[in-house]
Amino acid sequence: MIEELFWIFPMMIVVVGAFVLMLLSQSLSLQKLNLVAVFFLSLSFLNELQRLGSGIVHYSFADIFGKMYIIDDFSTLFDLMFTAGAILTLLINSDYFKSRKYYTGEYFALILFSVFGMMTLAHANELVTAFIALEIASLSIYALVGYHKYNQISSEAMMKYMILGSMTGAFFMLGTALIYGAVGSTNLGDIALYINAPIANDLTLVLTGGTFIMVTILFKIGAVPFHAWIVDVYHGAPFPVTMFMASTFKIAIFAIALRLYLIDFSSVNIIWSEMLQVITVLTLIGGSFLAITQTSIKRMLAGSSIVHSGYMLIALSSIGLGSEMAAPAIMFYLISYFLSAAGAFGILSFIASGSTKVMTYEHFKGFSERRPYLSAMMAIFMLSLSGFPSTIGFLAKFYIFTSAIESGQILLAGLGILTAFISVYYYFKLIAMMYFYPSTQAQRHFPFDFSGILIGVMAMMVILGGVGTSLIPFLPSADGLIEIAKQAIESLQSGV
Amino acid sequence: MNPILSYIIFLPMLLSLLMGTIRVPLHVLRLGAILSSILVFILVLFVGLSFEPEGGMQFIRVLPWIEHYGITYYIGVDALSFVILALIALLMPLLYLYMWKEKRKGYWYNMMLLQTGVTGAVLSLDMILFYLFWETMLLPIFIMIGRYGNGMRQFNAMKIVLMTILGSMTMLFSILYLGYEFYSLNGWWSFALSDLQTLHFNPVTSIWLAGGFLLAFAIKIPLLGFHTWMAPAYGSAPTPTVVILSAIMAKLGVYGLWRFGYGLFEETLSYYAPIIMTLAIIGLLYYAVHAIMEQNLRRMFAYSSGSHLSLIALGIFLLNSYAWSGSLYFIATHALSSAGIFIMIGLLYSRVKSVRIDSLGGIASVAPRFAFFFTFFALSIAGLPGTGGFVAELLIIIGAFKVHVWIGILTATTMLTSMLYIFWMLQRTLFGSTNSSTMTFADLNIREMTMLVPIMLLLLISGIVPSLFFPLFEPQITATLQEVMLTIGGR
Repeated sequence: MIEELFWIFPMMIVVVGAFVLMLLSQSLSLQKLNLVAVFFLSLSFLNELQRLGSGIVHYSFADIFGKMYIIDDFSTLFDLMFTAGAILTLLINSDYFKSRKYYTGEYFALILFSVFGMMTLAHANELVTAFIALEIASLSIYALVGYHKYNQISSEAMMKYMILGSMTGAFFMLGTALIYGAVGSTNLGDIALYINAPIANDLTLVLTGGTFIMVTILFKIGAVPFHAWIVDVYHGAPFPVTMFMASTFKIAIFAIALRLYLIDFSSVNIIWSEMLQVITVLTLIGGSFLAITQTSIKRMLAGSSIVHSGYMLIALSSIGLGSEMAAPAIMFYLISYFLSAAGAFGILSFIASGSTKVMTYEHFKGFSERRPYLSAMMAIFMLSLSGFPSTIGFLAKFYIFTSAIESGQILLAGLGILTAFISVYYYFKLIAMMYFYPSTQAQRHFPFDFSGILIGVMAMMVILGGVGTSLIPFLPSADGLIEIAKQAIESLQSGV
Repeated sequence: MNPILSYIIFLPMLLSLLMGTIRVPLHVLRLGAILSSILVFILVLFVGLSFEPEGGMQFIRVLPWIEHYGITYYIGVDALSFVILALIALLMPLLYLYMWKEKRKGYWYNMMLLQTGVTGAVLSLDMILFYLFWETMLLPIFIMIGRYGNGMRQFNAMKIVLMTILGSMTMLFSILYLGYEFYSLNGWWSFALSDLQTLHFNPVTSIWLAGGFLLAFAIKIPLLGFHTWMAPAYGSAPTPTVVILSAIMAKLGVYGLWRFGYGLFEETLSYYAPIIMTLAIIGLLYYAVHAIMEQNLRRMFAYSSGSHLSLIALGIFLLNSYAWSGSLYFIATHALSSAGIFIMIGLLYSRVKSVRIDSLGGIASVAPRFAFFFTFFALSIAGLPGTGGFVAELLIIIGAFKVHVWIGILTATTMLTSMLYIFWMLQRTLFGSTNSSTMTFADLNIREMTMLVPIMLLLLISGIVPSLFFPLFEPQITATLQEVMLTIGGR
């Protein structure tokens, strides 16, 4: 029993942290609460870190819950990203809530709850668990999006997201019910057994259910035509929350998507690949149009995050068409997107902590003269997001497109490369704004602060992930990361 | 496994990053930049001394990079890349000498990064590595034009980047496809050029793949129809960048055509040959006519450069040893003379703050030394006998006549048209009467002469005794040409 608790310690510590934060929320200052939250998350992070790469697959409390809750390399890698994302969100924005009156102590508890939800989502080996986890994560995010409750835009974003999100959440439930109706179980292993049964079962209900679940997943990652909320919600949410959503919550959805469509529906994936292809094409083109027309950086990044979902969808449909490299490619892309998006949003909210303006391209004019280091980092993140070689973003795209070519989706790979070309425009526009225009304010400053260092470390990781060779020992660079991604996927497949 | 080439590639970048992070003062930065370029020059000299013209690829270094996908750090030098390498190594110190009084630090950093980018692109033999350098060398160009340029610099910087990246993207697609095809045939990944050369495709696939590469190179050269970035970019870029653009980057397009076009798609290129030759011949004339009409000196020589590069591209597609030797020789000599003329235009601009022909005149009477060098470089562009350009152009024209008499005649017009715009331009800028802006034109000083004399001497030597240089790349040309002819003939 005690040993079982040890297995779920990383998740447990986050929930415990969330409750502690709720209890302390009135008695401690925001700064201290921030540190407490970071403390709990780091504890969980470190615990997960030493577990990574062990290759063990374990079902937690198997005698009580059945095989509901799985612990493997795959979920560990995701947990690491969630906790890292939350830690970065909290630390980089440690100045943000100082200047905002509406921040209260519950903010930190909500972040921890949503991290817990995401972690459970990555560990869920059963559809109802997955749904509950998804809702825990989502509900916390809804509350976080509307955290600025006296602000109309923020409240509107929250309502929009909550109504649409709940409705698509219902699809997940419906899909689960349909699958349960056919299989008689919601355990992923049982569903896989049912699908791959030697005597062919009637798959109509299962496939319909799987499609409904896919609707929820596509909605959450913001694929076109389920994208209508994404720009407004990203725009309306406070900067730290946008950062958290874009870099962390989006990844969590891919955790369940990969587990479902790599294990559960692996043999029938081909049925969805045509649908996925259409959605991918729409997502890539629609996202590009959305991103290219924005003037606010936050909205541009929101639009471009749709395009990034599109790239990952390319690989998702490649999985169905029998590409071996597609699944590790998605993992690698997630790591790369996590680093670059968290960095870019981190810089945005870091800058925004001093002012309340909407960040448009115009505001970045002459930024390189005001903050040379920060703008160099921003340029690195932009290059990585646009897939420029020598950054991790290039290798991520390289893997995705190679997997698309491997599965014979040559036109889709071509379209991906075309949208990558379009994305060069809106990312380079920001670099142009930062470097090509004289600064309106004359003073330069190099404040020494912790957030800047963190962002700097992330920028270094982006570069290291892009050029780092296997010659550098001890550091998982470009080569090591794809190895980790591969291991994670293998542990996923060995789980069933 | 001699690491000398790695030093040549990465020395400027590492030094600039080091100096950038510790924020050195300007004079240290300047010294560092010049030292690094001289050190690189010495290293290149060292490579040149132990270089064997018949040895094929030399100084090869292969290190694993991303092992899962067989991507290696694979560099080496052969006669062709050595010519461009030597040009870069020679021009960089001279450009730093030109930039001596430049106070904006970013200028220096970007030039150092640019050197790493172009050198790396010339030396890499792994497709992904090549792509990496091919793209990253754009970044300093982007910043240089957009930040330190003039005119509509922001727009023009964006334009050159977008157009070039469009080409790179199609090339990336072809590279990925080649890599995957290699994997599916052999069961292991490799992106090394020598491995990918073993692949064979059906004609349709091959045409598409070659098209991906050709678009990248056509935009870089630029061939007619892909040239809209050229004049604006040359017009707004600061002088050192223009020199790099015309002397090195445009040559890289031709280099890519030769190395990767003929390396990977010998047969398929004969499908594209008529199209490219037509574009090159029309481009040759079209750019020349544009150059005649142009009032802005930078844009004029941009078009002139485009015209001559079309000639080089044409020479490469003519497939005989005259044209090939001529093209390769022209790569070197045109780089020298265009570097010379763009430096002269830069000097002109720094004196009178204008590069428009109608605001100049009578310079020869106030600044004879300037007029001498200006005339020399302008005439060397036009192919003055006695300079290397003449030898090269003559060889290409002979090669063209060997293929078809009309191609020969059309090609020969390049000498005529270039004489036309060069002499007319000289007449309007150097001679005639002085006006208020050219009245006080300062003549060249010692520093400026120091950077021009080596280029001039090299141009003269290459023109008077070309036999000094031909043995360097003759064996490789003959070998490659034979190989290509064998493949095409064997169809």
